[in-house]
Amino acid sequence: MKKTGRILAAMLAVVLALGTFAGCSQQGTQKSSLETIKQNGKIKVGVFSDKPPFGYVDAQGKNQGFDVYIAKRFAKDLLGDENKVEFVLVEAASRVEYLQSGKVDLIMANFTVTDERKEKVDFANPYMKVALGVVSPDGSQITDVSQLKGKKLIVNKGTTAETYFTKNYPDIELLKYDQNTEAFQALKDGRGAALAHDNTLLFAWARENSGYTVGVSSLGEQDTIAPAVKKGDKELLDWVNNELTALGKENFIHEAYDATLKPAYGDSISADDVVIEGGKIQ
Amino acid sequence: MNFGFIVQSLPLYWKAAQLTLTISVWAIALSLLVGFLCSLAIYYRVRVLKSIVKVYIEFSRNTPSLIQLFFLYYGLTQIGLKLEAELCAVAGLTFLGGSYMAEAFRSGLEAVGKTQIESGLSIGLSRAQLVRYVIFPQAFSVSMPALEANAIFLMKETSIVSAVALPDLMFVAKDLIGMYYSTTEALTLLVLFYLLLLLPVSLLLSALERKVRYGQFGN
Repeated sequence: MKKTGRILAAMLAVVLALGTFAGCSQQGTQKSSLETIKQNGKIKVGVFSDKPPFGYVDAQGKNQGFDVYIAKRFAKDLLGDENKVEFVLVEAASRVEYLQSGKVDLIMANFTVTDERKEKVDFANPYMKVALGVVSPDGSQITDVSQLKGKKLIVNKGTTAETYFTKNYPDIELLKYDQNTEAFQALKDGRGAALAHDNTLLFAWARENSGYTVGVSSLGEQDTIAPAVKKGDKELLDWVNNELTALGKENFIHEAYDATLKPAYGDSISADDVVIEGGKIQ
Repeated sequence: MNFGFIVQSLPLYWKAAQLTLTISVWAIALSLLVGFLCSLAIYYRVRVLKSIVKVYIEFSRNTPSLIQLFFLYYGLTQIGLKLEAELCAVAGLTFLGGSYMAEAFRSGLEAVGKTQIESGLSIGLSRAQLVRYVIFPQAFSVSMPALEANAIFLMKETSIVSAVALPDLMFVAKDLIGMYYSTTEALTLLVLFYLLLLLPVSLLLSALERKVRYGQFGN
């Protein structure tokens, strides 16, 4: 047993050492990020693959959606060609890590600005408004959060919906999935009474999927969605902010809305409920 | 490293470790059973059954376990069969583990020399006695290391069940990362807890191996 103890101790030491190394590497100093991007000739942007109409992959395998539309414009203005952007597909829960580990330059995966996230990444000015919503089957519609007591609520890991319900309604049982597609499939399979997510997503989804209604259309505070850069990457952050201001002058975010979101929402929502132009809430 | 965060998340990991262990125990036990029966079907060349088992083994070993789990959890609902996540997890891992265990058992059974069986018959052992005193002890002795490896493999493979919303160790780590972005702490704890679960099992199985393989190790 003595030998076993020694092996155990050695393993523990290795794990802790690895952990400490990982902790250190995050504090590495940033090289000029804009220079690097220009040198590489492309900007790496983290987007969703399964959150239509914001970020998704279409039948041809191309990235599409509201976030993607704006990201392409960024690439065009930064590098002169809207195709000089490499889209990296991310999950909700891994968005911060992708930035921290330098796998992407910019996150445009419908990233809601929250205080917890602000500690880990730097948010640029917002381009979209969002609140939470709850969608449920028409037969047993949830119109108030109190109806969820004792029932299972489906959420996506790493989303604001998860944090909100964990904090404010600890007695509602959460069923947590990694991907939007999985979460919505679980709702369709009746594994939970309802699904909570960004209301902007739910409106679009409920329109596509008959038999489901967004019973609770706005919950919690009104939040904003913004591009995010690695903590301390001030150069890229300033560039994005200036870019958003410039785009605001030509009402570009509205153009992105008309191209990507309007078909999904129809006339049920007006553009100004969702869009923030010029990086500032009017 | 934020040690406050680590201490705070310990209860979550502890609960998750229990789920991981529960699923593992069920999956390993059922895999052993399925594998044993399958290996007998092959060893004794049971007609029809043998072919079915062979198809099952190839099918199970050559498809990813995550896909098998997804099929049980999301696929079967399309034909109106809604299984609970826990059941899907155990069934999926058994489906995977059964084939590996079957091959491990088979390797042992087939390693028993023909002369052994003929010698046994010539001293007048009955078929049952032959199995009990000649074939099985030698077969298990050969199979044991492979069975152990499979058991540990299955325990680690439980990390896929987080994909069907079961709060196992992997799930908790990813969840904490997603909510609090304490990647380093969450992942370190994850590795530690898997080690904590797997090392005792590994040692226990080694001890068991010595016992079962007294032919090789001596008493």
